[in-house]
Amino acid sequence: MWMAGMTFSEKMLKIDRRIIFLMIGLCTLLPLLYPVGLPIKTSSEVRGVYDHIESLPEGSVFLLSIDFDPASKPELYPQAIALLRHAFKKNLRVITMTLWVSGTGMADQLVTQVAKEMGKENGTDYTFLGWSPGGQAVIINMGQDLYSAYPSDYRGKPTKELPILEGVRSLKDVGYMVSLGAGRPGVEEWYVFGKDKYKFEMGGGCTGVMAPGLYPLLRSGQINGLIGGLRGAAEYENLIGKKGKAVAGMDAQSATHLAIIALVIMCNLFYFSLRQQRG
Amino acid sequence: MIFLRRQLPLLITLVTGLLFAAQYYVPHPASEQMLTSATKWLQIVGGFALILGVTSLFHQHAVKIRRQEAGWGYSLVLYVGMLGTIAVGLWTNGKESVEGTMTAFGWIYNYMMVPLQGTMFAILAFFIASAAYRSFRAKSREAAVLLVAAVIVMMGRVPLGEYLIPLSGDVSSWILNVLNSSVRRAILIGVSLGAVALSFKIIFGVERSYLGGGKE
Amino acid sequence: MPFEMIVGAWVATGLTLLIFSFLYKDNPLFKLAEHLYVGVSVGYVSVKTYDTVIVHLVVKPIVENGEIALLIPVAIGMLMLTRYVPKAAWMSRYAFAFIVGMGAGLAIPRTVSSFILKQVEDTIRPLLSMTGSDGVTFSMNLLNPASHLNAIIILIGVSSVLFYFFFSIEHSGVGKAVARTGILFLMISFGAGFGYTVMARMSLLIGRLTDLIEFSDTSYGRPTVWLSLLTVGALFLLARRGREQPPDIH
Repeated sequence: MWMAGMTFSEKMLKIDRRIIFLMIGLCTLLPLLYPVGLPIKTSSEVRGVYDHIESLPEGSVFLLSIDFDPASKPELYPQAIALLRHAFKKNLRVITMTLWVSGTGMADQLVTQVAKEMGKENGTDYTFLGWSPGGQAVIINMGQDLYSAYPSDYRGKPTKELPILEGVRSLKDVGYMVSLGAGRPGVEEWYVFGKDKYKFEMGGGCTGVMAPGLYPLLRSGQINGLIGGLRGAAEYENLIGKKGKAVAGMDAQSATHLAIIALVIMCNLFYFSLRQQRG
Repeated sequence: MIFLRRQLPLLITLVTGLLFAAQYYVPHPASEQMLTSATKWLQIVGGFALILGVTSLFHQHAVKIRRQEAGWGYSLVLYVGMLGTIAVGLWTNGKESVEGTMTAFGWIYNYMMVPLQGTMFAILAFFIASAAYRSFRAKSREAAVLLVAAVIVMMGRVPLGEYLIPLSGDVSSWILNVLNSSVRRAILIGVSLGAVALSFKIIFGVERSYLGGGKE
Repeated sequence: MPFEMIVGAWVATGLTLLIFSFLYKDNPLFKLAEHLYVGVSVGYVSVKTYDTVIVHLVVKPIVENGEIALLIPVAIGMLMLTRYVPKAAWMSRYAFAFIVGMGAGLAIPRTVSSFILKQVEDTIRPLLSMTGSDGVTFSMNLLNPASHLNAIIILIGVSSVLFYFFFSIEHSGVGKAVARTGILFLMISFGAGFGYTVMARMSLLIGRLTDLIEFSDTSYGRPTVWLSLLTVGALFLLARRGREQPPDIH
């Protein structure tokens, strides 16, 4: 609220926050409407997941756990699409599932969409097991006996009769596993209750909020790669050679970041000038 | 009666806790079979816990509507939304799509739930910008360090930042992989030690707040 | 374009804009959308829980495969629901005792193995590789996180932060220097965390606006354009009505 007798610095520090909202809105909208397309460097974290999937022989079992809900869709949906495209291109046996009940519809749609695009058949080339309650209990149950945790797939067909699950009795038979997590249960739970005992190779994808917290696991090799946020998804899209929504969003990301940096610098300039004025 | 109300639950906690902690170290097939069955049971009981959460919300807003408290109209909207979704969901047998065609339940999910949930979280972007402007000031040396690290990482993680200052990408990568991971590691170790200590306290009955329900 | 998709686009855009209206001011339109969100979410979770837990995990296995033993967890689950009956609420303790006891028991050895032992091992292991059969080697490449210089920095970081959080002894003298180092590392890490949080929040907004731009297409009938005008108009009217009413002065 601006009052009489305020100095310029004071006025700027007390500016109506709706002006900042408008600024952020424009910084996001304009680059989406008029993209520039700057190059995106690939980080070693994302490369870890990509290189491992590249190295898997045809027919290897790949488990993708879509552990997020619509709140994190903008960051993790592009990651899931890029990973599935890669896995289908490599002709891996793709098993998908989710530990988050409110993400089930979205996960089903995403898997069906990419499978249709790549010409893959449900039950033979891939399966969507759906949601099962319990979080870590599901992981342990899958590690002991997959058919106990999921007696049927999402369509209601018995899992014991699915051609794609032939020879897959539990998590020990999984070649590579990636969990795309937005919180709990997510990457950490998959490691603690899954990889620790059942010893499958594992990578992770996560939101930007969670990414810094997963670096210890990455450094120790407990996960062999980490796709962090929309930026990670954009890097993966570049690596598989099929650009999607993540790359398209990078210009807006650049603009908003620079806007925030400018805001922070300005706020500190006004703050220090005010402190100097007051003596 | 005290035994049934207080001692027996604590005994159950003690036995199940010690049993499943020890199970990890016993690879015998019988022990593995017990783990498989027990986790299946845990899943089902966990499902009932969800039902508990849902019914509690039902009850809370029903009371509000019945007493016509302030804002009860919104509780009515909530109820209509909830019951409508449940009715449509049961009608379509809980399926969002059948043979590739979207059902009514799928329509509600895709065109109501996804946009609503997505937007509720998207408006946080505006608030973080406003909060950064209002309060992210270098009032002390530590705050200044935080600020500089934040600016370097924000710069280094976007293509424009790496294009303008190529060094920011390398420095932010170093900050994340070395400095940040050492701190998060320490926090992870500390929090895990605390969690293990709490688990022991629960198993041995020192910590009883999880029981709830009833007078003792 | 199928009819239900066009209607869906209009509904989705309308609901999105109702929530965005909060940015101008807290208003009844936002409250409406907020309560609708909670109602639809809870409804969805209820249907899914019923379909998965009751139908697929309990009823089908018992009826089709004769797994009667599953009635035991059902009984335990029903005990949990007694929480609503004040006289019988104490019975719910058995259910919670089972869940919490089992959860704690399962978590202890796995957490110790994954997050304590493995993490400590990885902090110390790189230092061992410095002294091999061919004498002492020391890689100084800062850009490679696995280099020895970085391994030493990580060791300093982990120990100083762990020491900082150890409040049982006073941080004085050498301890104070270690604690200050810990705080420095912590601030850098939180700064990086803030940077990533900003990135995440902006990505969420980018996702929503991408959808809104997609729905501004003519094949949907341009809902974004028309509904934006409608929302702005409604907010304008609400603001006018707020100004016309005299403010309460106490």
